[in-house]
Amino acid sequence: MTTLDVTPEAARRPFQGPRERLGDLLLQGVAGIAALGALVLVGLIVWKVIEGARLSLSTFGLPFVWHNAWNPVLGHEDFGARSLLYGTAVTSFGALLLATPIALGIALFLTELAPRWIRGPVTALVETLAAIPSVVIGLWGLLVLAPVLRDHVDPALHSSLGFIPLFGPPGSYSSNIFTAIVVLTIMILPIIASISRELFLAVPVELKEGALGLGTTRWEMIRGVVFPYSRGGVVAAMVLGFGRAVGEAIAVALVIGAVTGISVNLFKPGYTLASILANNALGASSGLELSSLLYLALILLVFSILVNLLAQFIVRRAGRRLGTLGL
Amino acid sequence: MPRNGKLVRTSLVVAAAATVAVVAVATAGTASARSGSASVGGAGSTFVAPLVAKWMAPVKQQLGLQLNYNAIGSGGGVSAITNKQVDFGASDAPLSQFSPTCSTCVQIPWALAATGVIYNLSGLQHLNMTGSVLAQIYMGKITKWNAPAIKKLNQGKALPSTSITVVHRSDSSGTTYNFADYLSHVSHAWKSHVGTGTAVAWPTGEGEKGSSGVAGAVGTTPGAIGYTDVYYAVHNHLGLFRMKNRSGNFVQARAKGIQAAALLDTHPAKDGSLSIVDPPKSTKFRNAYPISTYTYVDVQKSSSNAAKIKKLINWAITKGQSYGAPLVFEPLPKPVVTFDKKQIKKIHS
Repeated sequence: MTTLDVTPEAARRPFQGPRERLGDLLLQGVAGIAALGALVLVGLIVWKVIEGARLSLSTFGLPFVWHNAWNPVLGHEDFGARSLLYGTAVTSFGALLLATPIALGIALFLTELAPRWIRGPVTALVETLAAIPSVVIGLWGLLVLAPVLRDHVDPALHSSLGFIPLFGPPGSYSSNIFTAIVVLTIMILPIIASISRELFLAVPVELKEGALGLGTTRWEMIRGVVFPYSRGGVVAAMVLGFGRAVGEAIAVALVIGAVTGISVNLFKPGYTLASILANNALGASSGLELSSLLYLALILLVFSILVNLLAQFIVRRAGRRLGTLGL
Repeated sequence: MPRNGKLVRTSLVVAAAATVAVVAVATAGTASARSGSASVGGAGSTFVAPLVAKWMAPVKQQLGLQLNYNAIGSGGGVSAITNKQVDFGASDAPLSQFSPTCSTCVQIPWALAATGVIYNLSGLQHLNMTGSVLAQIYMGKITKWNAPAIKKLNQGKALPSTSITVVHRSDSSGTTYNFADYLSHVSHAWKSHVGTGTAVAWPTGEGEKGSSGVAGAVGTTPGAIGYTDVYYAVHNHLGLFRMKNRSGNFVQARAKGIQAAALLDTHPAKDGSLSIVDPPKSTKFRNAYPISTYTYVDVQKSSSNAAKIKKLINWAITKGQSYGAPLVFEPLPKPVVTFDKKQIKKIHS
């Protein structure tokens, strides 16, 4: 994102003289080209994706978005995004729902509760979790996590929460929507946790000590000072984690079961926008299939941009509110 | 701020140097691939990838050629050769299965193998299976291992009441093409409702990425059934079905069965394609394994690297065939080799 430079002229030119001015000009040129390059690149990508999706756009039009079909067999081709949108929404919201409380717990532990000597190593470990390549998490999910979930967790959830249609009878499928939710939870957990930790650290000590000085318990201090102070940032962190979950392709492709169709039961296989792209973009057997995949990519792209804008909007609004509070 | 200035300068220099290095390495790579300092590059089928990998050392030694291969899947191989990004594409499905396809390519059958049907039932090693029962399982019509249709084929075996977990490929794949082509031959319901393709709209089951994904899911799921290329199937310590052919015999996916099936079609169609699934009832095909397949190499008729490509494929369809045995790739029948040599002549620079 580019912002307007409002630095006054005098501050921008502390040194007068031709040599310094040349340096400034060079700097402005190089930086400008770099910024422009990023903009052009995004434009080119969007343009290419739209161009690639054109065949599908003209064949299916807007109804593609809610049409429920995915048949790549030559002569029977029929494509639509509904089941993929559904799968993407369910897995991402599910992961967000599971990850947020755990991540906030980790962040609170690391900033307010843990003994000092333990904070460094645990912080490093949480950040390492974010550095594991998604394909590794995906393979681990498929070979290690999925059988455990299928044999122990899925049946337990069904027997205790079975009255909710989401937790229907567990099948024998280890690759299912719930497995994907758990894998995504693991992947977005470190994002939300480490951003929240930074936010909690930024809460002024005077405020916290003031609250404690008034006789609040530690929990009341967290609820009354830490959370309100960092709420906007935490929501933005959640939006970023959500964006990551929506866009994750490989790890999800490995554990979700790759079946187009809408299943309310989380213990059945499903599919997402990003994972169907990862699976099929290289091997599309017809121009229309490839074009429909690019249509999905376009939906994903538009969605990611919206998520980013939303995160920025939330941060800015939170900043303004804190400003009016005089913090 | 002198320190900052120095930092910026240093990092700019490092970045510039890195860029130059990367560009130099990258262009060096393409230069040798293009103008051909003795290298041939291909992409495509994961099915044939183990065989191609095995060829690399002898090709270097005997032909002095550096053989590079990128196993991105059959569909990817076809689109790479169509767009002239590689010297050859490899695909298990014939070019006619792709639209748009490479109209300026020659298609050459260069290896012969099969698809194995694997399952996970402890203690039950060589169960029998027929195409029509397999189609019903993959359509979700038969869901238990002790269903009468399966029991009838395996009398005396203690089949459990476990439900059948159907596993298939999630990515576009030549193995899927071979498998779906077979099911379309043996089941009208499959042909009309699902059909043949490198990816299909599966009526049931879960999808996994690659042969390794399918084998992994079958291996960790008791009661699962799946299909992979036969080498994977043989080496995964999972159950491997003996498939019933039209002559009424239950045949394993091994050398003899694949060689017998290969006799079905040794005279490729004009476009170079061959189909050997589900051979008819005949003494000739008594021992034929019904899910066998040829796999193809696709080359642009006009290519700047033509001489080296021709040398490579000539070697592959003759001497190269002897490297297949441990990977359960069987040698091409003579008439196919003769046809291939005619196809190779069409390639020119």
